[in-house]
Amino acid sequence: MSEKNLEKTTAAAAEQEKDHILDIKDLVVHFETDEGCVKAINGLNLSVRREKTLGLVGETGAGKTTTALSILNLVPSPPGVIKGGSIVLDGKDVLQMKEKELEHMRGNEVAMIFQDPMTALNPVMTVGEQIAESVMLHENLSQKDAFERAKEMLKMVGIAESRAYDYPHQFSGGMRQRVVIAIALACRPHFLIADEPTTALDVTIQAQVLDLMKELINNNHMSMLLITHDLGVVAEVCDDVAVMYAGRIVEVGTTDEVFNATRHPYTEGLFDSLPNLKEQGEELVPIKGMMPDPMHLPEGCAFAPRCPYATEACNQSVPELRPAGGTHYVACHAYDDPNFRLRRNANG
Amino acid sequence: MNETMKATENLQEYKGRSLAQETWHRLLKNKGAVVGMIFMVLLLLLAVSGDLIYDWDTQIDYMEMGVARQAPSMEHPFGTDQLGRDVLARVLYGSRYSLIIGVGSVVLGLIVGLITGSLAGFYGGGWDQLVMRANDILYSVPNIMLAVVIVQLLGTSILSLVIALSISSATSFAKITRASVMTIRDQEYVESAYAMGLPTWKIILRHIIPNCLSPIIVQVTLSIGSNIISASSLSFLGVGVPIPTPEWGTMLAEGRQFIRSEPWMCIFPGLAIMLTVLALNLMGDGLRDALDPKLKR
Repeated sequence: MSEKNLEKTTAAAAEQEKDHILDIKDLVVHFETDEGCVKAINGLNLSVRREKTLGLVGETGAGKTTTALSILNLVPSPPGVIKGGSIVLDGKDVLQMKEKELEHMRGNEVAMIFQDPMTALNPVMTVGEQIAESVMLHENLSQKDAFERAKEMLKMVGIAESRAYDYPHQFSGGMRQRVVIAIALACRPHFLIADEPTTALDVTIQAQVLDLMKELINNNHMSMLLITHDLGVVAEVCDDVAVMYAGRIVEVGTTDEVFNATRHPYTEGLFDSLPNLKEQGEELVPIKGMMPDPMHLPEGCAFAPRCPYATEACNQSVPELRPAGGTHYVACHAYDDPNFRLRRNANG
Repeated sequence: MNETMKATENLQEYKGRSLAQETWHRLLKNKGAVVGMIFMVLLLLLAVSGDLIYDWDTQIDYMEMGVARQAPSMEHPFGTDQLGRDVLARVLYGSRYSLIIGVGSVVLGLIVGLITGSLAGFYGGGWDQLVMRANDILYSVPNIMLAVVIVQLLGTSILSLVIALSISSATSFAKITRASVMTIRDQEYVESAYAMGLPTWKIILRHIIPNCLSPIIVQVTLSIGSNIISASSLSFLGVGVPIPTPEWGTMLAEGRQFIRSEPWMCIFPGLAIMLTVLALNLMGDGLRDALDPKLKR
């Protein structure tokens, strides 16, 4: 333990960076439309540890998908503009890459699973061809070999090889999502971005797909950024959690820390709006109000207008992330008062 | 040995179920489309082999006033025209002109329309403005007028007729392509293709254009038909294929003055135009159904 303390130098920090597959620093992404500037991401800091899964949680419109697209440098432009910050993936800054390097990186090092399997597959290509396509591109295999790989991938996600010749409309939603996963994993990327991979699936299939993803990630030593608004999914799959609100991270830590020692009022609000198995019949407490219009964000903390603990300080300045024990960080002015506790933690 | 056999078998199976083959299979189930296709295949054979069946100097372009304006008989099943030429021979031989003009103008229009339309749809902005405004201008002039002017400028020949007709085809192909590219461009599978690292040109060629193809293919068959009609109209007006070429529209124009006394001079070329266009439309309808992947079972 004392040894570890001694090593708290820049070398240790570098060591820690090496331990991260993804490091996003001060990312700012705006959408400049005719109606005004939509501030989608406003100084986002996020890290994903190697061979770990980070859950990115937040409401619709918090900027989760924009974060994912930024990692691939695929923010639709115009109107999207990456204003600043860096996204270091495996030691290289994605935002500095040339188009050729980006094309090499996409699919090969980082793959993305999209939200809706109904629309993420090309209706006029067989699923086998679609899996083979990226293999042919990145690994220079012949069409035949790539197709063999496609069949292997299908088998891996639990679909019979013979179905490689079928078209997407011949599959059910859950199976299509398996195909999408097979496409994403076909080139054996190190890092997987899953954008709400189970949102469009029904509950029984959700569990299957999540188990499959968990298993494949573990077997292939991959890291994953799992975007979701479902805290149940996070609890099941993720090692770490980052809670996002209005384009910023408001709380980040291991799943255990965030779930059992919740610090941010917004995270508390998320938990309060979930049904509790232990105290059945208890009334749900939704977070009042709506997320602020990203075109007109408040000057201070974006959550202040909805926050039951908000003070004058919250309207003055944007809170920075501060340590809250271990790897746990929270961005909230309330902790200026050392005795502050959330209601959730008050008697626990 | 066994291994390679298995591999080739797999490959055959893979190829055997390609989209084109499946479309073909379903096209064969549509009776109207089959009739249309058989008619078009026969017409095509006829057009290609016209010179083997008929001799231009002694059968197509000759004058034998002694047998002029004869009604249909065993010797001349479609009768003879005002110069004593066999109408059947001229109608059959004329199929090549109609096909060359119809297909040629559509292919030319398709190439121009597909390229400009997909660029306009994919990139939008300035390209879109340029292509679509040019289209609007061409669209605001009646097709026949435009064609008449172009043929007058280039001189009456089959090539200038093809060019004239291809312009109006190009505008409709550009519009259809642009509209479908714009909807396909924002589909999630295109985004996902980008996320897989595919370069833009590959995405346009492999993901966007194939998804736009069905309306375009249908439009191709229908346009061939309408261009054959336009070509005949132009010939009828005297600005199309010059006489004595046995083009159907030219034949109609020649026979017009005898329509009360010797109607066969007009009926048979007219019938040929009608049947060809009908066959093409039947094919177009059949293709539209066969190409829709959602109908697949």
